[in-house]
Amino acid sequence: MVMLWRKLFRDIKENKGAYLASITIILIGLMVYSSFSIVVNSLISAQQKFYTEQNFADGFAEVISMPPSEVKKLRSLEGIKDIQGRLVKEVRVLRVGNKTAEPEKDIYLRLVSTDPHEPRPINDVQLHKGRALNNETLNIWVDSQFFAANQLAVNDEIEIVANGKKTILNVAGTGSSPEFIYIMRTKDEFFPNPETFGIAFIPFDMMKTLFQEGATYNNLVFTLQPSADYKDVEKELVAKLDAFGISNIYPRKEQISHTLLTQELTQLRSMAKSMPVIFLAVACMILYIMLKRTVENQRGQIGILKAFGHTRREIMAHYLSFALLIGFCGGLLGGISGLLLSFPLIDLYGTFFNIPGLQVSFSFSYLLMSLLLALAFALFAGYHGCKSILTLAPAEAMRPPAPPKGKSILLERITPFWNALTVQGKMSLRSMSRHPGRTIFLFLGIMFTFSLLGSPWSMMDMAETMLYDQYEKVETYDVKVNLARPVNRQQAVNELNRFPGTRKAEALAEIPVILKNEWHKKEVALLGIPQNSTLYTIRDTKGNRIKPPTNGILLSETLARSLDAQVGTKLQLRSPVMKNPEEAETIVVAGIIPQYIGVNAYMELDSLLNLFQQKDLITAIMLSIDEQTIPLLKETYQDSMFIASLEDNKEALRQSKEMMASYGSTIYIFLLFGLLIGFAIVYNISVITIAERSRELASMMVLGMSPKEVLSVITFEQWFISILAMLSGIPITKLLLVGLSQSIDSDLFSMPTTFSVSSILAATGVTVVCILFAQLMAARKIAGLSIVEVLKTKE
Amino acid sequence: MEPLQKTEPLIKATNLCKFYQMGEVTVKALQGVEFEIYPGEFIVILGPSGSGKSTLLNLIGGMDTATSGELYFKNIALHKADPKALTFFRRNNVGFVFQFYNLISNLTAYENVCLAAEIAQKPLSPMEMLEKVGLGDRATHFPAQLSGGEQQRVALARAIVKNPDILLCDEPTGALDYQTSIQVLQLLKHFCQKYQKTVILITHNSPIAQIADRIFYIKDGLLSRIVTNAELIPPEKVTW
Repeated sequence: MVMLWRKLFRDIKENKGAYLASITIILIGLMVYSSFSIVVNSLISAQQKFYTEQNFADGFAEVISMPPSEVKKLRSLEGIKDIQGRLVKEVRVLRVGNKTAEPEKDIYLRLVSTDPHEPRPINDVQLHKGRALNNETLNIWVDSQFFAANQLAVNDEIEIVANGKKTILNVAGTGSSPEFIYIMRTKDEFFPNPETFGIAFIPFDMMKTLFQEGATYNNLVFTLQPSADYKDVEKELVAKLDAFGISNIYPRKEQISHTLLTQELTQLRSMAKSMPVIFLAVACMILYIMLKRTVENQRGQIGILKAFGHTRREIMAHYLSFALLIGFCGGLLGGISGLLLSFPLIDLYGTFFNIPGLQVSFSFSYLLMSLLLALAFALFAGYHGCKSILTLAPAEAMRPPAPPKGKSILLERITPFWNALTVQGKMSLRSMSRHPGRTIFLFLGIMFTFSLLGSPWSMMDMAETMLYDQYEKVETYDVKVNLARPVNRQQAVNELNRFPGTRKAEALAEIPVILKNEWHKKEVALLGIPQNSTLYTIRDTKGNRIKPPTNGILLSETLARSLDAQVGTKLQLRSPVMKNPEEAETIVVAGIIPQYIGVNAYMELDSLLNLFQQKDLITAIMLSIDEQTIPLLKETYQDSMFIASLEDNKEALRQSKEMMASYGSTIYIFLLFGLLIGFAIVYNISVITIAERSRELASMMVLGMSPKEVLSVITFEQWFISILAMLSGIPITKLLLVGLSQSIDSDLFSMPTTFSVSSILAATGVTVVCILFAQLMAARKIAGLSIVEVLKTKE
Repeated sequence: MEPLQKTEPLIKATNLCKFYQMGEVTVKALQGVEFEIYPGEFIVILGPSGSGKSTLLNLIGGMDTATSGELYFKNIALHKADPKALTFFRRNNVGFVFQFYNLISNLTAYENVCLAAEIAQKPLSPMEMLEKVGLGDRATHFPAQLSGGEQQRVALARAIVKNPDILLCDEPTGALDYQTSIQVLQLLKHFCQKYQKTVILITHNSPIAQIADRIFYIKDGLLSRIVTNAELIPPEKVTW
């Protein structure tokens, strides 16, 4: 059927704009599918390999102090395959290589001890560059991101403060550990910052000389036997480690780096599945409408083909070929562009996730799957678009169709409204009711475009709310002085109050606790805040200040959901810091508050200290201090053995803002997607409408109407539907955001769901622009109508 | 299919009826039509607009199915044939020429003719057919580049290239001027006589009936009379 193929290509060429738009939408959907799928597979592949080769731990425990000999005894516990101890300490960095750390930049290193003689270390470090560590000098391996961010070279020096003393460490090399694929200093941070925080691996024999703890471990990592149950092993370990002051024990799935990587993979997988379906569904609808229109317009031609003796199958195959060709082009291009996109994506992930050997692991199955998906959707659209007319007998196909039923519509009964309309307006509204399918498609398409445009703007707003609310409304201190050991509360507060520039100093306690409600259990940090604190302000959902309760506990919303707790619920509280860690205290939930970063519980500070029967259990002091004196504060206390670190709130906010700005490109990508889809939908429907109503429109021009007046028949209909669609898009976008927020809620952060006025306006503005642009193209088509030719053509 | 004897009818209709729905209206297009048509005949079906001429032509050509009655082409019972059988009937036995040419606008003259040749069992040469209708030098032109008469001649070539047993023409000169109409009629007559093919032509233009062997008069869906033309005249002598 060579002639029919020629007809196909020429027909497509005549409507190339519309078909190109469909190909583009299919391409984008499948580009997302294939690129994200490749990235997920590549990440998983690299992760699994890295975990296996470097013997990633199944569990982690933190103790106050434990001799190595005691750790060895734990190897015989049932379920334990191996258990190894380490010393883990954070130190302040004064100088990195040749650069002195800037006063306003707090650079910290987490020192993690290693045993160079251990044959099969747990969480083993893979060396990328440098030499083996030795037990003779203070030599370290640093993580590769810190190494690169600080432009280090092998044999460079890093000056630190350890235990109040300045010490020089020699960089022997750079490497990665599965424990630190995503390096964040605390759970409260949003993004990694390799310039200011890194991991350094140091031989235990060298590290023990730096700290007064001596040859003891404060951190354990363990692997399980294949048949072991983590919960059983944890129970046994807790009992054994109690004597050594166990403060925390958690499985791999709660390890921060693993959790974040797993979350990211889950989100990628979800996007890889959902985005293509959305785009393909839109393309499917466009193809369906276009093919239906083509088949209806070529009704006479179909009749001829039937008259000659072409079978229904041959004619169906011809028209299905339109859809399949579009699907094939979109699928193939989508698969290929997805493969190409996966390379920069993997590079991008490589900057955040420190996984050696991370590279694109390509499989032809994605290309094939892209093609199959595109063809399946195209075939579906094509079949449903063609089937109705192909069942007609040839004689009927060659007759013009019966005119659509003309009758009055509901809106005509609203007489003042109807009388206010021009003739074009009346034509538009009647046309809408005659083509309900097309009307619904335009409505849904505009609504979807609006949501697609509104969502990323809202997410930026929500992320800003998360960060800025946390730093500017809740944690309103300027500096937080984290203590390395228990100190006399009043003395510490008084001393810092007297520091030049300090306006106010308040104590803070951050205590690890286990909260339980029936079978729901959660390990979190309980914050003790002074009753009238102005430096840490707890707020309710409306932003009003709440005082921490003296009787009872406040839970964050995420925590309350995890524990299935409401106000008034009685919780069981245990803590390794309590006088009797095995005994649980009963405590009532006094309130539930929003918390976007981290998951915490809150109590009034003195009440907390009473509960724990400890007078000086503070872990930090919050300061309101002149910005100019912060460098002096850091300089004064950087060597102090009582102070673990100084957190500059403004610096943290500045870094977050920088990171947020770098994500701005995501908005533009969604913007582009939204524009393409919105334009494709409106343009295609305009083209179809003009083609179908060219006689009508030409007749109007003969009467003397200008092209602009003629265009208004189409544009009135489109604006009427679009305005309703955009209004409907507001609650839909909100639902979308709620769903999105719930899907990413975790212990690390939860997103507020606000669809702000600015986002609504932005989404509306961009949707309007894409409608106008599509209508501009339609206006050109109308201006190009040859009235004589159109009216001469037999209907 | 076995050749018929000369006295056996090619087409036989008995009490043929066709009713169809046009929107909310039921149209009785044909009511109890009966006739026989023999191989090699040139038949003109004459009647005013809306009389049922096109409906009858469509039934004979397998383009539509009768509501009731019998219609045979040789020994093929068209009234009982399913859509697939009718498709193959049209493919192998029928050529159509329409009033408004109905060429595929995106194909050239040559390609339009090839479109029909591709599905025929024993097609004639497309280029030869185009030359026979005098359009050999316009083979690469699209319909929009041809005059009405030229388009109709392409349509004729397209119908003939399949080498059908019957050629059905629905007002083939309806959109043409006098001179061009005569040209088309000459070609039809030539095809009928030279190849011994049956031509059935419907028209409301009565002078054209003078070139036919027999004339079927149809009005309001009824075949009122069948007249044998005692004195045929050649197409070029017809005037209106």
